[in-house]
Amino acid sequence: MTWWSFVLILVWLATFVAGQLFFKRAMESSGVTGFRNRNTIAILSAGIVLMTISFFLNLGLLQRFDLSYLYPFQGLSIIIITMMAAVILKEKLTWRLTIGTLLITAGVVLVSMS
Amino acid sequence: MTENRPSGFANPWLQLGLNIICVVLYELLLKTGAKSTADLSQTWSWTGITGLASPLIWLAIVVIILDLMIWLYVLKYIPLSIAFPLSRVVDVLVPISCWLILKEEISPLRWCGIGLVIIGLAIVAKPAARLEERL
Repeated sequence: MTWWSFVLILVWLATFVAGQLFFKRAMESSGVTGFRNRNTIAILSAGIVLMTISFFLNLGLLQRFDLSYLYPFQGLSIIIITMMAAVILKEKLTWRLTIGTLLITAGVVLVSMS
Repeated sequence: MTENRPSGFANPWLQLGLNIICVVLYELLLKTGAKSTADLSQTWSWTGITGLASPLIWLAIVVIILDLMIWLYVLKYIPLSIAFPLSRVVDVLVPISCWLILKEEISPLRWCGIGLVIIGLAIVAKPAARLEERL
């Protein structure tokens, strides 16, 4: 069961991160072409599907584990999303932003450990 | 970032604040709802679908949809690498509201963690302020 839970946590994180990236892409696209554009709608729908999967997995995990156990993983999503935004969306990642993000992640992990 | 920054209620930073309030609200609703419907013996329980039996979960879903619209609006103006770390201020607000409202204990280690998050947020907020000048 623990192995299965680990897989569920990974899928939950992956769908969440991917969903956020799709959302940002969709909003960038809507800024250029507007909301009627087929491409924008497709990207936004993909984001919503991913977030829905992530939502139900989160619910299933919440029924099994304490929120405080799941929180460090949520903390990890901060660093993953910031890095993915830099790599995939080509957002500018400054040292300041990186250090701030690392501190927030460390803080979230500490909060959940205590 | 091609558009001018809308002011007043449409201000993306104000909307980011609203997004944060929504997240704190639905996190508490989800946990309460999930706990009350937890029945791990059911085959499909790992999908979380059994949570739908709770009205609190449905209320949470309404808040989530509202929050999603606000969040998409925020993303239109603020880079994901700044907006997302800032939005995690909820990781401080949730334990603090538990301490204030539910009178839960917060250990010294937990206060340290909350402190780290606040320092990190302050550091991330600086590039955000620079972004504001550019907008």
